[in-house]
Amino acid sequence: MSSTTVSLIQAIASGVLVGGVYGLFSIGFSLAFGVMRIVNFAHGELVMLGMYVAYSVYLLTGADPLLAIPIVAIVLAIIGGALYLVVYERFVGKATLQQLLVAIAISMVIQIVLQMIYGPETRGVQSALGSQYLIYGPFFFSYGQISAFVVAVVCVGVLELLLQKTRWGKLIRAVADDPEAAEIVGANSRVVNTIAFAASCCLAGIAGCVLIIYYPVNPGTGMALMPIALIATVIGGLGSIKGAFLGGIICAVLQQLTSTFWSPALQDVPLYVLLLVFLAFFPFGLLGRKTAH
Amino acid sequence: MDVSMPSTKNQPSPRRLRNGVSNRLIVAAAFVVAACALPAIVGTNSHLLGIAVRAMLFIALGQAWNVVAGIGGQLSLGHGVFFGVGAYGTAILFNSFGVTPWVGSLIGLLASVAVAGLMGGATFRLRGVYFALATVAISLCLEKLARHFIDITGGDAGLAVRFIGDSLWAAQSRSPLPFFFASLLMVVTYYVLTVWLLRNKFGYQLQAIRDDEEAAAASGVPVFRTKMLGLTLSAAMTALAGALYVQFYLAIDPGAAFGLGQAIQIQLPSLIGGLGTAGGPVLGGAIMIAVSELTNWLSAHTAIHGLDILAYGLILLMVVMFVPGGLLGRARRAA
Repeated sequence: MSSTTVSLIQAIASGVLVGGVYGLFSIGFSLAFGVMRIVNFAHGELVMLGMYVAYSVYLLTGADPLLAIPIVAIVLAIIGGALYLVVYERFVGKATLQQLLVAIAISMVIQIVLQMIYGPETRGVQSALGSQYLIYGPFFFSYGQISAFVVAVVCVGVLELLLQKTRWGKLIRAVADDPEAAEIVGANSRVVNTIAFAASCCLAGIAGCVLIIYYPVNPGTGMALMPIALIATVIGGLGSIKGAFLGGIICAVLQQLTSTFWSPALQDVPLYVLLLVFLAFFPFGLLGRKTAH
Repeated sequence: MDVSMPSTKNQPSPRRLRNGVSNRLIVAAAFVVAACALPAIVGTNSHLLGIAVRAMLFIALGQAWNVVAGIGGQLSLGHGVFFGVGAYGTAILFNSFGVTPWVGSLIGLLASVAVAGLMGGATFRLRGVYFALATVAISLCLEKLARHFIDITGGDAGLAVRFIGDSLWAAQSRSPLPFFFASLLMVVTYYVLTVWLLRNKFGYQLQAIRDDEEAAAASGVPVFRTKMLGLTLSAAMTALAGALYVQFYLAIDPGAAFGLGQAIQIQLPSLIGGLGTAGGPVLGGAIMIAVSELTNWLSAHTAIHGLDILAYGLILLMVVMFVPGGLLGRARRAA
């Protein structure tokens, strides 16, 4: 194999592993949009909050971030529910400019409060998984990335199962599919929305937990992750769960390819270009339905 | 204030118009007189004068954003792009090519107008939130590029304008006084422009599109052309303020130019004061800088950093949730 081929395969495979986690939090972003038409600009900040909570658990107990997943998931779900009831509820159903501004304000507040608590420096955990590599021929993969990918796939599977099999899951899907029809049958209740938004934040938290294994956090991390959630969701089709997961993987693969063959500093530039192309020419994304306006 | 007439159908009667103008004239004249008296009161080289320049720079930026967002209803989160192009353009032309800022700022303005044309062409098909998201993408993309191309932009560290001392040719001065009058002139000009926009056909067309794009198109408003003119006018105003900013601070960096934080600071004055009103950005900008000075003072005394951003975030949250029209505006239908 030529070295270019090796780099190409390595970049794509690493991209898929990282993309699983991107997909995980992008699903949360997509869920909030699909069910409530809320563009949660603060979603990246919530992933970062999950990272800091996992980091705190690690500092206090020395526990691996993977073990902190239940705690972080519960904390973020509670924060998400509160955020929905206090702030976002009044904006449900209409993706207005006011809603976007409020979300930006919330992201500013979360970011600056975390910076006040933890300081501006970059912080990471010493995970046993993060520093070991699986070596296969010329390829190498961090166990941290592999375990993060596995957790992401399991979570997406569980979410899909919950959405398909449980009553609340079916109600959430009904609202996402057709809010008006769902409202007629009495589904568009406060409870469905609160659960959906809490789930959205919960996914952000879990993603933060697995991300911190190999991706150190600083107060700018949220602002770096938010565009990824947005772009993954737009590429996949706004509101589509499977689309957001696919979009996350596409984003990460594109980042890795740009890093490898152009420059790591410019790894996000093709993502923004892709976002503009999709917004202008394919506003329904790869898997979105035409009705999702 | 009867300036923010939401539709062309309710034009104020001539009598009310005259009253409106005379009331506004008194307030505006009082503002200008008070502003001109400031250097005499606080001294020509004081820290306070520098704060006043900063306030008026952000008022001017707020007025520029107000044209496209308040009057035109397009929530641009990418105004940092025009600001950055104006500021970087002026600074690079002076540092590398020895072009006087008097010409450099005009070239920066034209470049900014060209960028606005491209941006408008690419994004005007998108409505509301989608337009906003597209402008975020363009802004973040330029920030990454500005950080990468170090030879041109100075990278992360930014660009310092070569300082050659007091010079009219280089538009540089040790004293803030010339910048005080330049920014005052800018604020007054932008104010008059806004008042004029709120009362002429072009302004009414912008407002008609803001209130209902389909209805405006059906009534014969050339939607694309009007939006494009609004955006390019706003971009030109923003770029000029960016040029003045870089002459005053003699430095610019990617975060201050294209960052989302800067975009928010450009929006805050008119959001606080009243979107789509002429006086809103003036009042809002003054409040914003007052808050910023207060929090900076607090930060210096408590060693807690970032209080200004926290205050901006909380103010933005409170204003949008509880006073969506801003202090001077009437609550309008959500655009």
